[in-house]
Order: sequence, then structure tokens, then C-alpha cells
Amino acid sequence: MSAKLTKAVISLARDREQSMELLDRLIAVAQPGAAYGVPIISGDYTLITASEVSLGMGFGYGLGGRAVPEPAAPEAAATEGEPPSKEQQPGGLAGGAGGGGGAGVRPVAVISIGPQGVRIEPVIDATKVTLAFLTTLGAMSVMLARIFRAGR
Amino acid sequence: MMAQLAGMSFQWQTSSGGQVTVGDVALTPESRALIVRWPKGGLVWVRPVALVVERGEEQERVLIADVTRELQLGLLGLAIIAALLALAIPALVIRRRRD
Repeated sequence: MSAKLTKAVISLARDREQSMELLDRLIAVAQPGAAYGVPIISGDYTLITASEVSLGMGFGYGLGGRAVPEPAAPEAAATEGEPPSKEQQPGGLAGGAGGGGGAGVRPVAVISIGPQGVRIEPVIDATKVTLAFLTTLGAMSVMLARIFRAGR
Repeated sequence: MMAQLAGMSFQWQTSSGGQVTVGDVALTPESRALIVRWPKGGLVWVRPVALVVERGEEQERVLIADVTRELQLGLLGLAIIAALLALAIPALVIRRRRD
């Protein structure tokens, strides 16, 4: 194995270790405590937000090419005026790595602790519900159209 | 709970967070986490589940409802039923006409 290939493989292994370490850290951040916010005190009331936390991460890498020992005397072929043979050509290596990730937090409810006791107020995401409603409406329209068409 | 499948590990855990005391009320939040790991990545999904309210010797477990998710799932259910009916009713009509 050439020195270049060894170096590339070591570098990739190191990158993989670092990525896994990063993933471990992200998982540690998203432990159950992350779902609840810090209590906010406002007058007689204390508010705590409860949220859904999601995060994901992925990475990939690849290495390719030809690992050929460098020719002992590359000048020899050049001086003869002939192109170097395949064995004489220096080996080439190419590699690449990439990764991506995403995280999201969505409030689910607000916990209110006050003189009247503990209350849980749900948080409704109107945009998401509207989109789901419109999708359902679309499905219903298709259904009605099909039924009417079949009835004719 | 942990399961492994084709190099992937699935972990489903319910745990309690730190207790918060406000006046004479002590609150213990509970959440559920789904951790999926595969050789080149992973995902974590944490959601609040319930709140244990302790007042003196009284203890109550209050569930935290995710209304947005419930509405979304309800509408998705309706859409699936609608799609199934759209497939089934024309087929039934055609069969009746043949008979």
C-alpha cells in the first residue's frame, strides 16, 4: 500500500471517528431534559414550555483510484520520447466525504403554574393543521369525483 | 427498550427530567425519546409525555397532549379512508352493473 493511500485511509478513519463523536454529542444534547424549557417566572405565574425536539445527522465518504508504486526513474521514459506505460504512470487517488444534518424544535404545550394550580395549554400549529386539512380536502375531492364518474 | 436490526440500533426510552419546585408544587417532567443509530449517522426524537405534579402528599400524573399531531393524524386517517372509498366504491358499482 502506498504512503498516499495509507495517509488517505487514516484521514478517512479519523473523519469517521470525529463524525461519530459529533453524533454522540448531539444525542447527549437531545436527552429528555431538552424537551422542557427553563421555567419563566412572571408575577404569580411560572411558565415552562414543552417541546418536541428532533435531530438527525448522516455522513458518507468514499475513496477511489489506482495505487501504483511510483516509477523508479520517470525521466527514463520521457527521454526516450515515448509516453509512459500504464505501469509507469503514477497512481492517483481521489476521495471525498460529506455530511448533513438537521434539527428542529416544535412547541407542544405550555405548562402554567399559578394560584389556580397547574394548567397545560396546548400549542396548535395552525399552518401544519391547515396544510393537513387541505390535503384531506384534496383526497375527498378526488374520491367524490371518482364516485360520480363511476355512477354515470 | 433497545433493538438492533441490520446494523441499526433503535432505542426507545422514557425518562424523567429534573424536578422543578414552584411554591408548594413539585413538578417532574417525563419525556420519551427515540434514538436510531446507523453506521454513518443517526436521529433523535424527543417528545414530552407527562408531568407528575406533587402537592404535599398528593400526586397526579397529567398527560401532555400534542394537539397538532393528533389533528394531523386524524386528518391523515380521514384522507386514507377517503382514498380507500375512492378505490372501493367504483369497483362495487362496476360489479353491480355486470350482475
